[in-house]
Amino acid sequence: MLDVSELVTTYGKIEALKGVSLHVAGGKITCLLGPNGAGKTTLMMTIAGILRPRRGSIKLEGAELVGLSPAKIVSRGIALVPENRLVFPEMSVRENLLAGAYQRRDKSEIAADMERMYARFPQLKERREQLAGTLSGGEQQMLAVARALMSRPRVLLMDEPSLGLAPLIVAEIFDIVAALNRDGTTMLLVEQNAHMALKVAHQFFLMEQGRVTFQGTPGQLAEDEVIQRAYLGTRRAG
Amino acid sequence: MIDFIQNTIDGVMIGSSYGLLALGFTVIFGVMRRLNLSYGPTVMIGAYFGTVLYLDFGAGLLAVAAAVVAGAVISGVYVERLCFAPMKAGAGIASMVSSFAIWMQLEQAAVLVLPRHTYPFPPLATGPALEIGPLLVRPDHLIMLGGALLLAAVVQLALYHTRFGLGLRAVIANPIAANLVGVDVGRLVMLAFAAASAIGGVAGFLVLAVDQQVTPMFGMWATLKGLIAMMIGGLGSIPGALLGGLLLGVVEVHSHWLFGPQVRDLFAYFVLFAFLVARPGGLLGRTADVELSHRV
Repeated sequence: MLDVSELVTTYGKIEALKGVSLHVAGGKITCLLGPNGAGKTTLMMTIAGILRPRRGSIKLEGAELVGLSPAKIVSRGIALVPENRLVFPEMSVRENLLAGAYQRRDKSEIAADMERMYARFPQLKERREQLAGTLSGGEQQMLAVARALMSRPRVLLMDEPSLGLAPLIVAEIFDIVAALNRDGTTMLLVEQNAHMALKVAHQFFLMEQGRVTFQGTPGQLAEDEVIQRAYLGTRRAG
Repeated sequence: MIDFIQNTIDGVMIGSSYGLLALGFTVIFGVMRRLNLSYGPTVMIGAYFGTVLYLDFGAGLLAVAAAVVAGAVISGVYVERLCFAPMKAGAGIASMVSSFAIWMQLEQAAVLVLPRHTYPFPPLATGPALEIGPLLVRPDHLIMLGGALLLAAVVQLALYHTRFGLGLRAVIANPIAANLVGVDVGRLVMLAFAAASAIGGVAGFLVLAVDQQVTPMFGMWATLKGLIAMMIGGLGSIPGALLGGLLLGVVEVHSHWLFGPQVRDLFAYFVLFAFLVARPGGLLGRTADVELSHRV
């Protein structure tokens, strides 16, 4: 579905991604684990077109995405739920969802999708006219997911959806992830919470210091080892 | 008492021209969080387009208005491409300083190309002032006030009830998030700049048609009055821009009447100072906007 190969992204002279390759299978949940600074968010931002890679390619069902504007990438079928959610705080819940459909022109279908989102996230329906900035963290996360879904993505990228949320809310978010997948959504999920991630993932990649250092299915590597490498990395720093 | 009411009415009328100028300023500041000092001079260039059309071709009012708007939009986009588009986020000072340079450039261009200092501008409405009891109201002032109210309403509607406005507010909130939902941020910012310049053009046309003359100094005047009105009214608020303009006009006319013309601007700047100290967000601005504006 989504093929990333030999991707190199730099900040000035620092290589944040040193040739990352990974494959996201259609209809599956692929998780990306790794310690802070491994380059997970950089990878997500590069796929979404916010950052431009130095080298490498990103292909969605065979079509190259590198070089396209973020807006074009959204219309090709990639949506990113960014780290820290980044909902539009001064807009109502309804307007946030409308903004998610910014690239679409099919008004009646957009309205129908809104109703689907309200059905899936009843809390959002209750607060449809409330400003997004006044929602709780968990509700904002749901809104960020719903907003991304409004573009009808073929691949949904999620960057740390559990960040800063209470454990009960985290469980709820992962229920949503699993439910979305059952409905056929392909997902690439970056997660610090390795335990939760391994429970929902069909496949996972470990990233350390800008490289993919392991790929496999949950169970292929002992969870202890995954957790250790995901939080601390294998290579000792400096 | 009659004097007080008459002065207040005059102040509101004069203030509507400040409010008009502040509207365009507010659209640019709201989107970019950056100050465009050459905003007034771009309107002035548009005004010269209009006055040339009027003098050399005998164009009618509508054609002159269209020329002013077109000239303001062309020079506004020129400023955006030169001073704003190349500057990265966070380089607000660089944009402001370079827009100051373009201000000087535009002003000198106007002086060089059209060496006579003052050019006539076609009047909006001639005829005697309307008498309402003991009070006098100039008809062209009424048109200007109506224009200001209408334009503010149009801008407010466009911001809150169109796809363009939705995208623009997304950019205002967070350019990266706007990008992620599929807003072409660069294109939208340029369009917003063009729209702001068009608003400035309409404002400039109305103000000049009341003054009936245009000089290269109009650019500086428009930047100053628009800026003060915007800051009093509230950064990034459309009704605030209008209200700030009206308040500024009323203060100016009253202080002129009470203390004479020399003191007028002193009072205007004092009102600005008082607002900056006591209520830096302006009349209708939010504190969040002020926090953001620190990053400029």
